[in-house]
This record gives sequence, structure tokens and C-alpha cells, in this order.
Amino acid sequence: MHKTMSKKRDIAIIGLGVTKFGELFNQSYDDLVRESALQATKDAGIGLDEVQAGWLSTAFPEIGVFKGRSGMDMVEPLNLYGIPVTRVSNFCASGADAVRNAANALAAGECDVAMALGVEKLRDRSPQDSIVKMMVELSHPYYQKGFTAAGTFAIYAKRIMHEFGVTREDIANISVKNHYHGSLNDKAHHRMTCSTEQVLGSPMVADPLTVMDSCPTTDGAACVIMVRAEDVDKTKHKPVYIDGIGLSVSTGWDLPFFDPKHDFLSFQATKDAAAMAYKQAGIIKPIDEIDLVEVHDCFSIVELLTYEDLGLCKQGEAKDLIRGEATQLGGEIPVNVSGGLLSCGHPVGATGVRMVVEIATQLRGDSGGRQVKGAKKGISHNIGGPGAIASVIVLNKEH
Amino acid sequence: MSFIKEYRVSLPHFRISDKVLSPRGRKGQYAICYTDEDIITLAFQACEKIKSDIDAILFATTSPVFKDRYHSSYLADLLGLKEGILALDLGATSRAGTDAIVLADRLLKSGSNENILIVAAEVYYPAIGNETRTAFGHGAVAMVLSNNEGIAEITKAKTYSSAMSEEFIYKGEKTQYDSRFARTKGFKNNLAMVLKSEELNCKSINKIYLNSPYAKIGFGQLKKAGFELESQLGTDEVGKILGHTGSAHGLMTLINSIEKNKGTSLLLDYHNGTNLIEVESKGSDQSSFSSKASEITHYQDYLTLRKKGKFTARGYKSVETFSSEMISERDKEMLFRLTGNKCQSCGTIYFMKASRCNACKSDQFLQVQLSKSGTVYSVTSEYYFPNSFAPTNMVVIDLVEGGRVTVQQTDDMYPSESNVIRIGDKVQLVFRKMMENDKKPNYFWKCIKQ
Repeated sequence: MHKTMSKKRDIAIIGLGVTKFGELFNQSYDDLVRESALQATKDAGIGLDEVQAGWLSTAFPEIGVFKGRSGMDMVEPLNLYGIPVTRVSNFCASGADAVRNAANALAAGECDVAMALGVEKLRDRSPQDSIVKMMVELSHPYYQKGFTAAGTFAIYAKRIMHEFGVTREDIANISVKNHYHGSLNDKAHHRMTCSTEQVLGSPMVADPLTVMDSCPTTDGAACVIMVRAEDVDKTKHKPVYIDGIGLSVSTGWDLPFFDPKHDFLSFQATKDAAAMAYKQAGIIKPIDEIDLVEVHDCFSIVELLTYEDLGLCKQGEAKDLIRGEATQLGGEIPVNVSGGLLSCGHPVGATGVRMVVEIATQLRGDSGGRQVKGAKKGISHNIGGPGAIASVIVLNKEH
Repeated sequence: MSFIKEYRVSLPHFRISDKVLSPRGRKGQYAICYTDEDIITLAFQACEKIKSDIDAILFATTSPVFKDRYHSSYLADLLGLKEGILALDLGATSRAGTDAIVLADRLLKSGSNENILIVAAEVYYPAIGNETRTAFGHGAVAMVLSNNEGIAEITKAKTYSSAMSEEFIYKGEKTQYDSRFARTKGFKNNLAMVLKSEELNCKSINKIYLNSPYAKIGFGQLKKAGFELESQLGTDEVGKILGHTGSAHGLMTLINSIEKNKGTSLLLDYHNGTNLIEVESKGSDQSSFSSKASEITHYQDYLTLRKKGKFTARGYKSVETFSSEMISERDKEMLFRLTGNKCQSCGTIYFMKASRCNACKSDQFLQVQLSKSGTVYSVTSEYYFPNSFAPTNMVVIDLVEGGRVTVQQTDDMYPSESNVIRIGDKVQLVFRKMMENDKKPNYFWKCIKQ
């Protein structure tokens, strides 16, 4: 791929912070910024004033509480004035993009200590003010034909079931698996296990996806402190290294629905982002080289597709991974051990950063009851828009 | 000489019977629109297959959706007719449809026009609870009048206007005459004037139609004028199927007569005066009033329809719609006329404009007309999309001659085996309005199962 950025940025993550994810009615946007940032700086063993630049990821200020329109909304609650802070907005890949931008600035030498913070406060308003409503009220006539987020991915699900013999149960079992993982994560929004029948029997959202195939609407924040690998002080840091970061905008908002060549069987964005990240990280056969993966399971079908797009298996074979329990904790390649978006919820801007924190915690060996034994390399993956934008980050315990 | 060159009738998919509307209902039924139809979509649908090269458009309705905008020019724009052609709206009374024939006939005879498109569309809703006492029925007609040969010749097109009307509205307030006064001084006198002035050769007329709610009190006069009522008086067959379709009713009566009877038909279309239209039909192989329809079976469903686009669904308190005339004008070729862009290098057809082809990166495109039928590539049913009835079905369609669109299935409160859309099904694109909520809606395409 001529477009692939092959240069590896030699960056380490030294501080991790993540709030409880859920309906955080007692915490404001500012409270979430503070909690995650202070956790991360404390974890890195630095003071707030040592942070030299910041990237704030909030995807939808206008459906939240109108906070996060610019970098200002990270600086104010932290009283961190006088440094460059930029808001990053790239749909569901916003959090990962904040990490990418921080890594780039460190690599370019703009700063020596960078903060990437993702936060989304969705539950200060009732969920009726959805993206669909905005589409209907504010956009081009052909958007009024609609599509909820669930509907967008349901179109993929229907076609995949038609082409590859994926069953409704296969899709539901992704949700069953992730809810089991979520029950082990004290930061997750939903901490309960469920059965295939419960997923299938919950109310239909967009055929074939039910409520339990869909992630909840959640508040939360996550933060990482990053430095160049050369600046890691092994006496006080527990670093995790970034081996590769890929981000690709590979379709548009409309294109998939009006392009006769779009097959609704895979996400080109994920393939493109993975190609970039793998090339930087020198990964050839991910299933053999990677120990765990966090994928963007906003709807259960998306995780199934992403197995193939990340190259964990061939096209059409994702169903075998879930049927063989290979992606369950203890399996060949555990996926979404955190519980994924289905259990943790999806505060949009925070999700990408939370996944990086999750993988880093696993690589440090600090994940307690859901620890993947001997995990050395992990991937975090996000996809945003109608499968338009994807990010893949490869993290490594070793330098 | 003027001829009816071609015509199309467009009827909504639903019928509601008197019995559903009232426990004392009789045996009549009415054609009724669904929430995503209005006079514009019905008119568009009627005009869609008109082939003639139109140089004037006359739009008749008594149920306008625009207060101060010409429906005729709006429709001309949607249809992509020549810019700047004669476009007029007619609509004071339910004889507006035949008014258009009278006007078109004179324009043709004056030589100023060659192919005049007459459109009559009616979507009138009576007051709730008053349905069985009010004449209503939804539908639209498109008819091209031309100097050239046609399906039927218009041998007479005249107006005998009268000041008397039973009830009318003055500055928004209903004004009433004594009904008996209006019928005798109005209808009877007016009919007498028509019959006296015309000196009709009754024997040469095959069928005579008297389009008036008081038709019965005029039968005596027709008889006196020399008509044999038993054989010559045409019954209101259209009314039995559709109800009274207002300004479209006269035209529908004519069309029905042309299809059923060869020879001369005479229509007396009364409302505040009479339009007299005589046509000589060579017969037509079209059958415009036999389309299949679904019954609205419950009064509650009818009330839901009457919300006319107040879209609510689980989780949505209200949805304000956004309709930008700037966007609609700018993108009308794509939005309304289904113009696509074909890559000159690899032949991939895109509905949307693009600077480069997504498949081969060529930047050379040719505008092409997309087909209105296709095959379903994928489909989902959205249960949380704001609409009148859940679910809203979203359909990804590969069009017959290339190109792909993603549209909603037409609204339907009665999902059944016959209208459930699955992958691989053949579907047809139809012009509909998107959600409205008492604001000007966006018009766009939806699909129905073929």
C-alpha cells in the first residue's frame, strides 16, 4: 500500500486513568476530566503541570452537554492553562485519534510529556436527542431516509447472514461473551452475564439486532500520559510501547449506501488502518503474534466482522472463531476482555482511550480476574460513522 | 381541434369504507392517502410516465399544499419540464379540473401551445366525525391535450358560470345560502341555461354524465331536453370506487367514459356553474380504475393517518423536520429526477456526485438516467426510527441499469407477507414525501415490492 505510513513512532504510555463507565448522574463532564487526568498523572508519577500538551476527544458536544467543543474544556477543569490543547473529533475513532495526535507531537518533538484524554457526558440529557433526530432535523433530504446507528450495521448483518451462513445465534453469542467479560470488570457499565436466548428475546432495535446486541448510552472518561520511549524512567514507570498506529477514512457517510461496489461484508477502513499499524509494528500473522484485542463492538455484528478485517481469520470464517470460543477469555485470542462497548458502554470520545488503557493494563499484568495470562502484545480497534473511519493501535509490553 | 393525447391516473394504495368511518355508514368507499403521500406525490406519480413534449402545465386542486406558490411550476420543476413554460394553477371549485380543459382547448385553438399537461390532484380531508356526510376521495390525473391525433377528440369545451353556490367560504368564514334556493336558483337554472344554449343533438350522444351532488334534481330537465335516461345517463362509477375526488373527479369521469364507451360522451361538471365537455372516444385499452388496493380496517388507524405526518416513535417526543429549498433546488437533478453519474472509464454508476470514481479513480463522468426498478441487496427494519408506525424498513437497492440507492420502504401500517421485503426481491422506486410535521416536507424516493 503506497499510502501506508511505515514509520514507527517510538512512543511509550506511562500513565493510565479511567473512570467508572455508566450512568454517572453524580459526576459532571468536568468531574470526569479531573478524575481520569489525576489518575493518569498519579499513575505516571508526575504532577499535572508537567503535562506540556493535550488532546481532548469529545465526539458529540451537541448531543451531550455542549462541553468539549474545543481543547478549552479539558484545560479549564484541570486549571492547566498556558499549554496547547486541541479537541479531536473523528466520530467513534476520536479517542484513538487523540492518542495518535499525541504520539505524533511527541515524535515531532513539539512536547516531551503529552496527555490524551477522552470524555463524553451523554446522560445529562435523556437519550431521545439522538443522532438520528439530528439527521432528520438538520440535514440533506436523503439523510431523512434515516438510519439509526443500529440500522447502519443491521444492513451489514443481514447481508453477512445471507452470504456467509452466519446465524442469528452467532451474532448474539458475541454479546453473551462480552457480557461475561464485563461481569469481571468493575469499571463496566453493565456487570451481568446473559444467555443467547436473552439476547435474542430482548426488544428488536433494527432487524436482526436487538437491544442486547447494542451498546448502552454511557458517561465516562479515560486518559493516558505519553512520552518518547527514550524518556521512560524504568525506576518509576510501568511503560507500554506503541508499536503501530493506523487511522483511515475509507468511505463516506453516503458512499456505502449509494456505491454499487460496496458489498456490506467488511469495513475497508479497518483493513486500511490495520495495514498501516501492522506494517509499523512488523506484524505479519496477527492471530499468532497478538495476545488480545479490544474491538469496537458498538453492535455485536461489528465485532464479528472485525475479526476478518483485522486479519484474525479469513473472510467468512469469523463465525468459527465465536463458535469455537477462541475469542473468549482463556481462548486462542481473547477479544474484548474488558466487556467491550456492549458491557462498558460507549461514551463516544472516551471509548478509544479506554481501550488503550485496557490493553496497557493487561500488558502490565494488572487486570486481576480478567487477566490474559502472559499477554505481551495487544490491539485496540475503533470504527466510526457508518464504518467510515477506523483506527488500529498495536501496543507492546516490550520495547 | 384538440385531442386527449395521453393520460394517467394515480390512486393512493388505501381505501376506507363508510362502514369503518361510521356505524351507520352506507356502502360507499373512499380512496385515501397514506402519511407519505400528498397532492404533489400523487400528481408526480400521474405525470411520471407522460411522454409528450410538454409546453404548458395547468394544475387544478381545491386542496393546495402551498398557499402562495404555484403547484404547476413546482411540479414542472420536479418533472424537469422545459424552463419558463406556461404554468398556471386553477382551484376555486371542484370543477377546476375541467376548467383546465376549457382553458387548454382555447390555448390549443389559438395556436399558442401544442402539448398541454393538465394535472388535477385532490387530497381533501373532511372534518373528523363528518366523513360520511362529506364528499371526499384522494387521487390525481395527468392528461395531455394536443392538436395532434389522440385517444379522444374534445369536440366541445365550454363554461356556463353562475353566481349561485350552496355554501362557500368568504375570508375564511363559511357563508351559507338556503340550500333549496341554491339548488333551484343555482343548479337547476344553470343546467337549464346550458341545455337551452347548447341545442344538443341528444341522439348522437352515447353517454351523458351529470357531475353534481344534486344530479338527481336535474334528471327531469335532461329528459325534457330529449335524453333517454335509462340508456344514456352514465352512472358515477368512479365515485363508487374512489369517493368524490374533487377537482380530479370530472377528469376521472371523462377517462372512465373514454375507456368504457366508444363514441360521444358528454360531461356536465357542475360547481358554481357548469363546464360542458364533449369527447369523441375511439376507445382505450387502458384500465385506470382497477388498481389493487388495501382496506383500512379500523377507525383508529384512520385517525392515525389523519395526524398527517406528525411522526412519533418510541423515544422521540417530537421531531422537527428540516427542508432546505436551497438544497432541493441545487440537487434537484439527483433528488427528484434520479440523475446518476456514470464513470466513463469503468462504467460504475453513482447516484451521488463525486470528483473521482471510487472503483477506478477516473474523474470523467457522464450524467445518466437511473432506472426506477431494482433488486434488494440488503434490508433492515428500524424499530427506533421516528415515524408513524414501527418499523421503518430501510432498503439497499441495486438498480436495473446500474447504480445503487438506499431508501425507505413506503409507510405501511399493515405489514403482511405480500409487502415484506427481503434480500433478492424486486422493488420499484416511488416518489413520496418524507416526514412532515406540518412543515414543508422533503420529497424523495421510497420503494414498494413489485
